[in-house]
Amino acid sequence: MTEQRILSDEERTRNRIERLVRQLGPRRGSLVENVLMFGAILRRRKIDVTTGRTLDALESLTYVDLFNREDFYEALRSNLVSNQADTEKFNRAFEDFWIPLAIAEGDAPGESEGFDPRKNEQEGEGEGENQKSSDQQIEIEAFLDEDEADDGGDEAEDTPGFSAEEVLRAKDFSNYTDEDVAKVRKLIAKIAPKIATKLSRRTKPDRDGPIVDLRRSMRSSLKYGGDILELARRERKRKKLKLVMVCDVSGSMDVYSRFLIQFIYGLQREIKNVETFVFSTRLTRITELFKRKELTQALSAMSDQVADWSGGTSIGGALREFNEGPGKGLVDGRTVVVVISDGWDRGDPAVLEHEIAQMARRCYRLIWLNPLLGSPNYQPLCKGMQAALPYTDFFLPAHNLDSLADLARTLETISAA
Amino acid sequence: MLPEAAIEAPTFEHIYFNRNIDAPRGQSERFSSLPRNTGSRSAGGNLLLGSIDEIQAALREHTYIGDRALATTLFLASSLRKPILLEGEAGVGKTEVAKVLADILDTNLIRLQCYEGLDASHALYEWNYAKQMLRIRLESDQSASDDVHSIEHSLFSEEYLIKRPLLEAIMSPKAPVLLIDEIDRSDEEFEAFLLEVLSDFQITIPELGTIKAKHRPFVVLTSNRTREINDALKRRCLYLWIPYPSYERELEIVMAKVPGISETLAEQVCAFMQKVRTMDFYKRPGVSESLDWATALVLLDRDELDVETVEATLGTVFKYFEDIQKVKGEKLKELVDSVA
Repeated sequence: MTEQRILSDEERTRNRIERLVRQLGPRRGSLVENVLMFGAILRRRKIDVTTGRTLDALESLTYVDLFNREDFYEALRSNLVSNQADTEKFNRAFEDFWIPLAIAEGDAPGESEGFDPRKNEQEGEGEGENQKSSDQQIEIEAFLDEDEADDGGDEAEDTPGFSAEEVLRAKDFSNYTDEDVAKVRKLIAKIAPKIATKLSRRTKPDRDGPIVDLRRSMRSSLKYGGDILELARRERKRKKLKLVMVCDVSGSMDVYSRFLIQFIYGLQREIKNVETFVFSTRLTRITELFKRKELTQALSAMSDQVADWSGGTSIGGALREFNEGPGKGLVDGRTVVVVISDGWDRGDPAVLEHEIAQMARRCYRLIWLNPLLGSPNYQPLCKGMQAALPYTDFFLPAHNLDSLADLARTLETISAA
Repeated sequence: MLPEAAIEAPTFEHIYFNRNIDAPRGQSERFSSLPRNTGSRSAGGNLLLGSIDEIQAALREHTYIGDRALATTLFLASSLRKPILLEGEAGVGKTEVAKVLADILDTNLIRLQCYEGLDASHALYEWNYAKQMLRIRLESDQSASDDVHSIEHSLFSEEYLIKRPLLEAIMSPKAPVLLIDEIDRSDEEFEAFLLEVLSDFQITIPELGTIKAKHRPFVVLTSNRTREINDALKRRCLYLWIPYPSYERELEIVMAKVPGISETLAEQVCAFMQKVRTMDFYKRPGVSESLDWATALVLLDRDELDVETVEATLGTVFKYFEDIQKVKGEKLKELVDSVA
């Protein structure tokens, strides 16, 4: 009687590799190693490659003519790349790794077709953009790797007392001390999840809800010979909202954006549907960063980079970049867009108006957060702000924690509507 | 078994000096004698494609004009039994791939059109409540067995089951092509659900038990890239980006698919479209628009483009008011002049 042992993942992988080595033939053992190495190189270049996929790539090679470089390339690419944006990186890695190998092997350049993977690429506008922003992200991440945040210390601290907390909540971000920063992070961590659960709840059985749950009603009707005497109900479907934040992190906004983004960071952990972008001279998507790293350092890095940009930024230009790029796919009738900026626009106010109008048309609600609203004497006199105001649904301050709580309440109201 | 250290820190010298791929050039014959996997169409409903060349030929035969990359990816998908994810702009022919594939493999095309809010009941199955209720009434009128359980048992049988595309694919007597169209329009929850189904093609219906597919479907997913798809799902698939065609390729397509079109007109239409795609529009037109437009022009008995005709037929190319406005007037004249 044979015993069926459940193989561990490692054993299965090993068996598979052995099988592939056999399939490829006695001389090809090194091909296996080379492909695995190639997979590792791709991973270092930030292409999402798992062992499983690398093995699939290897298996694919058993089906193609290894001497046809085009097919060889395709066999690897189709398994190892999942994104049009990654294809450029893959092509470079492919050239760096396999071409020298082939040449060293004695494959004269004249013999093969001189296959250039880049020829297959049609550079669309969108593709180029993605490449640039993902390059930027890599820069940011590289910076983060060097300067890992030391988060451990906070745990033991007591949370501030009641009145101290109140004072802190009213304090303008620009007046924060380092100590305040640490405390505020705790508070944000407290507020954000509560909002998040409210925003993302789906329907559940509810005795007094307005929607009839047909399935459950049916089952209970069997008791009564098919007459529906009891109606099982579900509560009203909450509008499942997407949140898109577009945040100005240029010089003037520096101090505020840190906290606002900290808040979003807290939200993002709980809500799945938050996308975050920042802009100073150009637009960068930072949604992915949130999922992994401590963000304050990243923001320092970014604002350092634009340290010489005093005054303002071209908000209109950034919004245009958003609308024509990621905005197209993201913003629809279920999206709440939050623009965070003080409105100091260096560019053409007509552009700002055009872009904000378009955004307002496409989204469900448009919220503009302006830290300057915290100051009681503020009047939105600058051209940028004036141009944008008519199109916004909510114009709110964003200068301290209380205002963040207000934002949270507004979001709640919107989602319940 | 594998040198871990080597994998961790490869340098190019390391690769050069440790290279063991020792096939000197001109020795490809030696490798043609290696055991090689060649797919073959086997009985029993398993879908396998012969070879990359065969597929290319078959695609051409069915007037789908694509490049070798597509043929290769399809071949690998069938050999490895992996689903295929086709990404690209709207209208480049992603959905058509699945249709042509079903023709080539001589099997059914089962289509699941995704949309926001799509959930398991719309994708997998639902009970036919109305029919069930009627049956209950009939039973109670005939005062047959009062046994609730036996009635319940017969009510939740295959007869009362509405099979939606995924279940259809699983229960199909012959391996089908399962097209999951525009997966980017669904949401993450659905993707997670789909991932489960795609991994073993087996689902459990509480009242009926576990149903396992006899024949694995050939799965094609398409996406217009309006949203990033879940990584886990992407990793499961072979990936191919389908770009807008080049001028030459589009010309081939138009000539093949629009019977009776004059070559001049086809050339002009394609040149026009190439130019249009370099401009900024809310929705850039794809190949399907080129074909619609070309067909319309042929119906209007045109041999070449002129401004009036183009203006009248703009609706086949652009589907948004703002886009049409952008191109009307001077701009249109410019465009037509440049290609005529």
